[in-house]
Amino acid sequence: MSSSSIEYQKKELPLKIQKIGLGLFIAGLIIVILGYMVNPDRSAYNNIIAFTFLTSIAVGSLFFVAIEFLSGAVWSTPFRRVGEFLSALIIVLPLLFIPLLFNVDKVFHWTHPEPADKILIGKAPYLNVTFFIVRIVVFFLLWLLFYYLITRNSRKQDLSKDSGLTSRNVKISAVFMPVFAITITFTAIDWLMSLEPHWFSTIFGIYYFSGTVLAALAAATIFIILLDKKGFFVKGIHTDSYYSLGALLFAFTNFWAYIAFSQFLLIWYANLPEETFWFLARWDGGWKYASIGLIIIQFLVPYMGLLSQPSKMNPKRLLIMSGVLLFAHYYDLYWLVMPNYEKGSVPFGWIELGFPILIAGLVITVFYYKSKNENLVPIGDPKLKRGIDFRL
Amino acid sequence: MMSEKILYSLNAIFDTPDEISHAAEKIAEKGYKKFDVHTPYPVHGMDDAMRLAPSKLGYVALIFGLSGTLGALLSLWWVSAIDYPIVIGGKPLFSFPAYIPVMFEVTVLSASIATVLAMLFVFFKFPNNSHPLHGTGYMKKVSSDKYGISIQADDPKFNEEEIRKLFESLHASEIDLIFWDNEELNHKNKILEPKFLLFLLAAAVITSGTAYFSLNKLMFMVPFNWMMEQQKQNAQQKSLIFDDGFGMRQPVAGTVARGYMPYEFKGQPDLAGEKLVNPVPISKESLKIGQQKYDTFCSPCHGYHAEGDSRLRGQYPNPPTLHSDKVRKWSDGRIFAVLTDGQNIMPSYSTQLTVDEKWAVINYVRALQRALNAKESDLQ
Amino acid sequence: MSTGDYTKELSVIEGKPLLRDLDELISKPLETKPDKKFYIALSITLSMLGMLVIGLGLTFYYGIGMWGNNNPVGWAFGIVNFVFWVGIGHAGTLISAILFLFRQKWRTGIARFAEGMTIFAVFTAGLFPLIHVGRPWLGGYLFPYPNQHSLWVNFTSPLLWDVFAVSTYLTVSLIFWYVGLIPDLAILREKATSKIKKVIYSTFSLGWRFSNRHWQNYEMVYLILAGFATPLVLSVHTIVSFDFAVSIIPGWHTTIFPPYFVAGAVFSGFAMVQNVLIIVRKIFNYEHIITIDTLEKMNKIMLLTGSMVGYGYAMELFISWYSGVEAEQFTFLNRALGPYAWAYWTMITCNVISPQLFWFKKIRRAVPVMFVIAIFVNIGMWFERFVIIVTSLSRDFLPSSWAHFTPTYVDVMILIGSFGFFFTWILLFTKALPVVSMVEVKAVVDGAQPTHKEH
Repeated sequence: MSSSSIEYQKKELPLKIQKIGLGLFIAGLIIVILGYMVNPDRSAYNNIIAFTFLTSIAVGSLFFVAIEFLSGAVWSTPFRRVGEFLSALIIVLPLLFIPLLFNVDKVFHWTHPEPADKILIGKAPYLNVTFFIVRIVVFFLLWLLFYYLITRNSRKQDLSKDSGLTSRNVKISAVFMPVFAITITFTAIDWLMSLEPHWFSTIFGIYYFSGTVLAALAAATIFIILLDKKGFFVKGIHTDSYYSLGALLFAFTNFWAYIAFSQFLLIWYANLPEETFWFLARWDGGWKYASIGLIIIQFLVPYMGLLSQPSKMNPKRLLIMSGVLLFAHYYDLYWLVMPNYEKGSVPFGWIELGFPILIAGLVITVFYYKSKNENLVPIGDPKLKRGIDFRL
Repeated sequence: MMSEKILYSLNAIFDTPDEISHAAEKIAEKGYKKFDVHTPYPVHGMDDAMRLAPSKLGYVALIFGLSGTLGALLSLWWVSAIDYPIVIGGKPLFSFPAYIPVMFEVTVLSASIATVLAMLFVFFKFPNNSHPLHGTGYMKKVSSDKYGISIQADDPKFNEEEIRKLFESLHASEIDLIFWDNEELNHKNKILEPKFLLFLLAAAVITSGTAYFSLNKLMFMVPFNWMMEQQKQNAQQKSLIFDDGFGMRQPVAGTVARGYMPYEFKGQPDLAGEKLVNPVPISKESLKIGQQKYDTFCSPCHGYHAEGDSRLRGQYPNPPTLHSDKVRKWSDGRIFAVLTDGQNIMPSYSTQLTVDEKWAVINYVRALQRALNAKESDLQ
Repeated sequence: MSTGDYTKELSVIEGKPLLRDLDELISKPLETKPDKKFYIALSITLSMLGMLVIGLGLTFYYGIGMWGNNNPVGWAFGIVNFVFWVGIGHAGTLISAILFLFRQKWRTGIARFAEGMTIFAVFTAGLFPLIHVGRPWLGGYLFPYPNQHSLWVNFTSPLLWDVFAVSTYLTVSLIFWYVGLIPDLAILREKATSKIKKVIYSTFSLGWRFSNRHWQNYEMVYLILAGFATPLVLSVHTIVSFDFAVSIIPGWHTTIFPPYFVAGAVFSGFAMVQNVLIIVRKIFNYEHIITIDTLEKMNKIMLLTGSMVGYGYAMELFISWYSGVEAEQFTFLNRALGPYAWAYWTMITCNVISPQLFWFKKIRRAVPVMFVIAIFVNIGMWFERFVIIVTSLSRDFLPSSWAHFTPTYVDVMILIGSFGFFFTWILLFTKALPVVSMVEVKAVVDGAQPTHKEH
């Protein structure tokens, strides 16, 4: 195997990173606990944002790892481990959804429908607490299973350098695709759409998916750029690979806009009361400005920032835009969730800050531990050499 | 013959992509500017090897794309909100979300067309089939499977011997000279060539003939005229459906058309004078409408000043003045009855004037009357 | 692929042919007289085209009343065929633009042909809105121009968006295709021996001379066009889906329509491209250019898009129940169990179940099997549009206005004729222009690019 010619020296991340990660995690946790004590309703809504956001990064990263195997792409192989490490966040997902399971009745109106509300009672076979919990647990176990299967083979390959493991991962990834599509769709329906249980939109699963891939890609890009700066990868990352990352970010920015616009236009145009009220709530009072802000931050800014060819190759620009997109996804989820908590004005206070800090801490800590125990470069991967030599 | 020809370039042929990349690099390094590489397909890394500046076509796309977006937005706004404002489907006149699809398409269309046209006609100066390289053995080879490099004779550093040596040192498989074709160089297109003029004439006759035929003849032939001549009851046609044979029907007894009030005092002008009250207040607007309608419909007989001194005087029984005591003492309702029913030779003006317009005309007649018979108070 | 060697890039073109031989092979159909088989095929498509001419003649003379359309079902075969053919047209641009952006080199063998099919499919599709207006000679009013009635078109109507989308798509596809053809025409110019051919190829190759200063801008334009064509191809079927989805008819008004229509379009387009290419590679001996690997990749895309379409069906079904709206729930029950249930189950079988066979590698690489599956997919995708349009219209909100739609012989003639129209173009194309891009294929042959150097 020609991959043996690659020399890789494992480098440890500085201990400082661990301290920062743990510090943020603990600080976030304290704010969250305080928040739950002061205003459990509001905290529960924030909890949903945090859970869906972390799911986006964790499961979305696993999706990208699987896509790399399936499509046979080589340019991303040198930094595929970043995606694998981020998908390890799947393990800590229960931390964010278990508190919610105790607060289901606070946030989900369908847990206690009025007897006259025939529509909600008609939905009871799907929207009931037991089935809801069964669904999230099953989804979680599925994600965990595929995370385990894919990363285990990848890890094994570091030692055995067996290209058969890649073939096996291709097959696992193929099976993961429909699983991913179904679980992400129903996660979106359960945790985001059913917050307003009378509302429905068939595209909603794809809407959440478009945000998911953006967030996962942006998170990975941030780690790749920062690690590359400190020279953690073999021979560094070539601008052509950055260009590919930038092009993907740009493409998915447009994809999000396309899906969001399709959903809006169809509901706005048909003007059916059973659908429009959802958008009207997001156009009421202060939410109007939040909606305009969403278009700017999730579409216009990254679109302009990544439009030109040189900007897609520039790591500094990519870093900024990935930060914007990551923030934008949190903002997007906030825009989906919070109008159910407060109509007419946009609630923002210290309670909203707890979960983002907690998540930042979690992501850094998990990444640190994974990178401590595993190689940051898949040294046994047969595609690695081609990936390092990749040119457009 | 040979001596008269002007040298265009010195060319070399290479057999592999590696050799040509290397050669291009070396020649760019030596500082030649007017040279070009000819390959059967784009070879990777050649732009860097030749030290070419990046293509500027991206800017063309950006500028034309943005002007397409903006132009579409402006014209949609002007068409739907200004020039032809019609509410459709309860949407606002300026419905931005509904314009996005068209704006997008226009952006893509203008940017794509402009970029390609700019490339072909501005950057490449195409069409150009009289280039000296055309029709040479060199072109035949580089179009198929060889890689060529050509240094133009007008390059400031051009020196045939030096370049020959350079090519040989780079392992060129063939080296040859290419000359301008004198015939093509001296060829001038004549606009007034009879053949060309004949072609223009024929084109003009055919286009205008086709246009005339299709617009003035074809549209009136079967089946194209079926929209005009439909199988339906026209206003004055005999009906086979109804017993009375009329195509036009009377309204059902006891019904009134929307926005229409029946006139109750037909043939009873005095009763009308008693009962009817002018509902239109005297205002600048109503007087203006009254003047316009009076000048149009009344002045031919009664004259612009209502003195009965019209342009038609002498052709009919003379129309009376409206300044007589009789008319001045009539109530507005009595005049309304005249306008509605007519009087003596004067016909009804109900088809020409709406109810409100009649009242406005009456207001204007009152103003004319006051002009000749002003009250004391008017002088103040 | 089968060896599972991931350490080196697999060749797109099998067997490292000489560049000159590729030129010869690809331009051969243009330089030889058409054979008997060609004339037989042409006479079949021309007789189908004849049916179109008769069908259209009857329609133009007597009007739309010759069709089976009735009062609630005002849109039927005409619009079904329109959406079907526009959908077929999506694969070409997908292959030439999106796969280009993703740097999928295997596209080179099939791109030119697929682009050609795009253009012919859009021609075919363009017939239908025009004949559906009943008086096609008045079709000019669809375009916004300052006319003598001082009337403007309604820019908020999705039908007008269609006019813009389809005409833009046709124009950009034509430009894309022609730009790709210029260097190939220059090759033919250099090879041409007869004077007429030389003049024609010289005229259309515009003086191309393989200069790298041109290649540089040319590649840039190709990139820009691909960048524009990618969202364009999404927008076209999106806007076609808006024709239905902005209304409030149950079964039409659903937000998933845009991406689901696009996936369906790509799905059917790939099926059609694959069907035709299987025949072309056999007849012209292009087996080493359009390889089994390429076909397998196309099958994978069909599996992917077919599953997306299946996702769309499932989502519609689930949300129609979940919505709690009675009319929605009824529409989907009616589709599955009502008078058009046979169409619905044809659609499900052909579109969702049959491509699932592509999970098996053996089937993905078996030419006859994939040919049959692709035909099934085309049938299924035609029925998808039929199910959407006809079942929803024939039974909408008011049971008193329900009516059943049955096609007339004119409907059927026009449907068959549209295939004749399309395939006549295809046949003429194979004899008039190189069906595989010589330049692009040459560029991806092993050893055609300089060996990689470390700096």
